[in-house]
Amino acid sequence: MAAAIVVVQLGLVANGYRDPHNYFAFQPFNESSTYAVALVRVLPDGERVAVPDGRWEGYDWDELIGWRALQGPWRQRHAFSGVDAVVDYLDHALDWMADNTPDDTTTLYLEATVTYYRNARGPYATVIRSPDRELGGP
Amino acid sequence: MTAAAAASTAADRRRRWLDQVFDEPASVRAVAIVRIVLGPSVIWHLRPFLADALNGVTYLDVFQQKWWPWVPNAPAGLYVALLWTGVAAAVLMTVGLWSRPATWVTLAVVAYNFFLSETHFRHNRAFLIILLAGVALCDNGRVLSLDARRRPPPDDRALLWPVWLLRFEAASIYFASGFSKLIDPDWVGGRVLHDRTLRYQDDARDALGDTLGGPVLEVLGARAFHWVLSPVAVATELFIALGIWFRRTRLAAVWVAVAFHIGIEVSAQVEVFSVIAIGALAIWVTPSTRDRELITPRRWVRWLDWTARFDITVVAGASWRMVDRDGTVLEGRQARRFVMTRLPATFLFSQFWRYQ
Repeated sequence: MAAAIVVVQLGLVANGYRDPHNYFAFQPFNESSTYAVALVRVLPDGERVAVPDGRWEGYDWDELIGWRALQGPWRQRHAFSGVDAVVDYLDHALDWMADNTPDDTTTLYLEATVTYYRNARGPYATVIRSPDRELGGP
Repeated sequence: MTAAAAASTAADRRRRWLDQVFDEPASVRAVAIVRIVLGPSVIWHLRPFLADALNGVTYLDVFQQKWWPWVPNAPAGLYVALLWTGVAAAVLMTVGLWSRPATWVTLAVVAYNFFLSETHFRHNRAFLIILLAGVALCDNGRVLSLDARRRPPPDDRALLWPVWLLRFEAASIYFASGFSKLIDPDWVGGRVLHDRTLRYQDDARDALGDTLGGPVLEVLGARAFHWVLSPVAVATELFIALGIWFRRTRLAAVWVAVAFHIGIEVSAQVEVFSVIAIGALAIWVTPSTRDRELITPRRWVRWLDWTARFDITVVAGASWRMVDRDGTVLEGRQARRFVMTRLPATFLFSQFWRYQ
């Protein structure tokens, strides 16, 4: 068992150079990167509605996220565990939001433009979005 | 010596080491110290989850990113009960009542909470789980515990292979952190630390005040300062990772590690990392106890000898005298200085480099 644990730990450390989150690879304080998010709701007719403060249809992004690392991303924030990790978390968060906001009967999908500085270089931007939601009303 | 004889000697050494690791019981006192440190750390770690629960919010109410789909989601009521169970187990673990089962329960709760969502991941929490697992694998209640008081065991010895695993894990953490920064030009070149310093300079100015903050930030904000600081930080981590394995450099590595963690605690928010990392340095203590004879006039030495380095006789008015494991005798100031290097509470301020 001891040998297996050693091998697994070494594997996880090596995997940290591939995995954006470097889980169990122990690379803390890896970047000084920052990011900001511009969130829009895209309606079935293609209209894009900005969500500048993270509030829409009775929902609040910060409340739903419940995690300081991703709260208030409308202003430039430190990227917890690096830009790649944050973009991955945000991507999953959009999916989760799409699935867990049943009172929103008008949004087809959520889209976030993530603008970031990687170790003070940039800005760069990437766009992520949730899957299409099924709109049928409550 | 012929090549064959050298190979045979090396093989003998390797066999002796494996015997020592897997078959020979040794003192678990250092593991018990880690157990005691981990209890309050676990409670501090669970505190924000409990605070949310008291406000009616659990992981079920917020964004959850599952590690694996097969990890079952506990209903809110059960989840909160589990958290409180973890707190109770952590208390039992620290006082050493049903030490081993309590450590396993604590580990189960902390690990379950951790693996409910990737958003619960932090490096310090991963290290906490590793430490809990290592301590749980050891017969950790044989000393410094209520268990040992209720039913005193014949001695404080048990198999120590989990301690070797913990040593490997602890050293890996320093090495992985240092090496990843070493090969990152932005890190080792100072760009990352410089950028972070500039971003938080207003907070630093608020904390230090204008009079002190101005000159301090002038230095900290200079790019050149980080050309020096960053490689030093990387070298520090690598030195701890490697130096802690060797007898000649171990005390220096421990001293640097303590200073390093205090520095991190002052400059960053790392939850329980500093406390558990400093506590975990106990695993590097030689696992034998009371194998140095000490005569001292000072009663407090007994209270501060947490790792039981000395077989202490307190004699009022006597001068200090210490007989080391190899028979070396130190007297007077020399003996006192040596003792300071082996007591955790005085180690940081001792002349440890004189007494390897």
